[in-house]
Amino acid sequence: MNGYLKLAVKNLLRHRIRSSLTMLGIAASVGVLFSVLSFNSGFNKGLAAELERTGLHFMVVPSGCAHEVAALVLHGAVIPKFLDTGVMGHLQETSGIAMATPILVAQQPNPEKERIDLIYGVDMEVLSAIKPSWEIEGKIPTQDNEILLGHEVAKHEGLKPGDVFTETADGTSLVIAGIVGLTGSQDDAFVYLPIQTAQRILERPGAATAIGVKVTDPERMSEITDELTSAVPGIQIVTMGEVMNSISNLAASARALSLAIVLIAVLISAVGVMNSILMSVFERSQEIGMMRAVGASRRDVFRIILEETTILSLTGGVFGIAMATLGSKLIEAFVRSVMPFVPTGSLISFDPFLALGSMLFIMVIGLFAGFYPACKASKINPVEAIKG
Amino acid sequence: MIELKGIEKHYRRGAEDVRALRGVDLSVDKKELLAITGPSGAGKTTLLHILGCLDQPTHGEVIIDGVDASRMPEAEVVKLRRDKIGFVFQQFYLIPGLSVYDNIALPLLFSKKPATPEKITHLAQMVGLEHRLDHVPSQLSGGEMQRTAIARGLVNEPEILLADEPTGNLDSENSEKIFGILRSLRNNGLTIIMITHNPELAARADRTVHIKDGLVHKEE
Repeated sequence: MNGYLKLAVKNLLRHRIRSSLTMLGIAASVGVLFSVLSFNSGFNKGLAAELERTGLHFMVVPSGCAHEVAALVLHGAVIPKFLDTGVMGHLQETSGIAMATPILVAQQPNPEKERIDLIYGVDMEVLSAIKPSWEIEGKIPTQDNEILLGHEVAKHEGLKPGDVFTETADGTSLVIAGIVGLTGSQDDAFVYLPIQTAQRILERPGAATAIGVKVTDPERMSEITDELTSAVPGIQIVTMGEVMNSISNLAASARALSLAIVLIAVLISAVGVMNSILMSVFERSQEIGMMRAVGASRRDVFRIILEETTILSLTGGVFGIAMATLGSKLIEAFVRSVMPFVPTGSLISFDPFLALGSMLFIMVIGLFAGFYPACKASKINPVEAIKG
Repeated sequence: MIELKGIEKHYRRGAEDVRALRGVDLSVDKKELLAITGPSGAGKTTLLHILGCLDQPTHGEVIIDGVDASRMPEAEVVKLRRDKIGFVFQQFYLIPGLSVYDNIALPLLFSKKPATPEKITHLAQMVGLEHRLDHVPSQLSGGEMQRTAIARGLVNEPEILLADEPTGNLDSENSEKIFGILRSLRNNGLTIIMITHNPELAARADRTVHIKDGLVHKEE
């Protein structure tokens, strides 16, 4: 270890609690900064992966808000609009469409049980493609009268696979084939059932809230969507790219706010560093006077103090990033509980470039914070200091 | 070796105009052990700081080896202090977190000279601290701390050692040890200027200069 560094480390160790607290302040702000930046990158990656997994190229929905569609695709938000039954026919007649799968999401009052069921009707094979991360107790429904229950619904009603969920108006018993493990999202509140069953229960044969479409040749997608929009009135076509943009834009607002808060936290920790180092400079002014007497130049003193802030920033940065990486699951759980439209999968993963960027940022902030105390120390008059 | 000509030092303390030195003329020879005595507030420490180029006189010249240090730019003064002058203080001013070894080696960090174990050990032996090199200041007695400070003052191999009441915080036994070390350093060719309130030690110096009211009152 070089002499200046050793001296700086020893100086910091003299006030272990003060140095640790200052370092923790930096660690907390760097940790949050790193998490927010990682979340930004993880969110977009997760979202892209989630949309990719659906295997769909675009959604046909009633004219309205694209955000609602995004909500529907990923988390089953309820849209009080339905597509005309003829839309499906048009899609089947349109060339270049490999698959069209209707999704029906609606609220269904259940007077017998005094509750409102949230129905999510979809082709069960498509569902397993959309939600690959689900842990299902039991199995995916294979029969028309089988359903899959969201975790909260099952827990609230005390139901398990094999139980009858409810009886429909036409006397069919809906049997629980499986229960979805806790996701911490809106998914926990839904009842998933085959699309035809959902249409029958809701008495809307052929109806859909949206239709997911897969084309045979993605390069022809804009041609197909143009053709559909002009041929079928009252529909809107939202590509998966647009869905991603919509969700990303929503998330971006939240991110901008959190980033602003993080930057304020970083500034506060920088002031903490400045305060801590300044206090230590004042306390050590006699020592600094002695160092000047035994040959230290102003520059030497400046360097020692600046190295102290660098060490604090560096250790705080490393500690903060390590804590953020280790605690990423907790942060993810928190984010999922407060943010809508969070994709499944890992949102925060260790990205060396982001870690390096966060470190560099905090180092620069640390150097700024250390600059004033270092200047102050280097200007200490040795005669005055030694006199005390 | 050192010559002070008409040194005056004025400064303000609140509303008061203080004239700490009022025209001091003094010359110190090579290999001389000079004691500076005088009552508190007489200007002894101010004089020592000016001799050590830590402070600049308001008027007068500080000639060290034929060069007027009072007019030098700061960078040259720093170099002069590093190369030619060692300091020892009454309060020792050792760095608490550093071992005796590192405290002794500290000035080498600033003079960019290598801190070889042989050199540090030799200095520690010279002041009788070779068995304490790994200890930190809090584990040392007052006498040991002052001996560490003397070794630190010598590490850059200065020609002049300035000591501000080096025995002021020590008992008579330790004072005697410290004076013995200074005496032997002087015998080995070092110029030593020491402020002391101890008349017995002052009497054993080569020469004593008594300062009173900012002037050389008497030389013995």
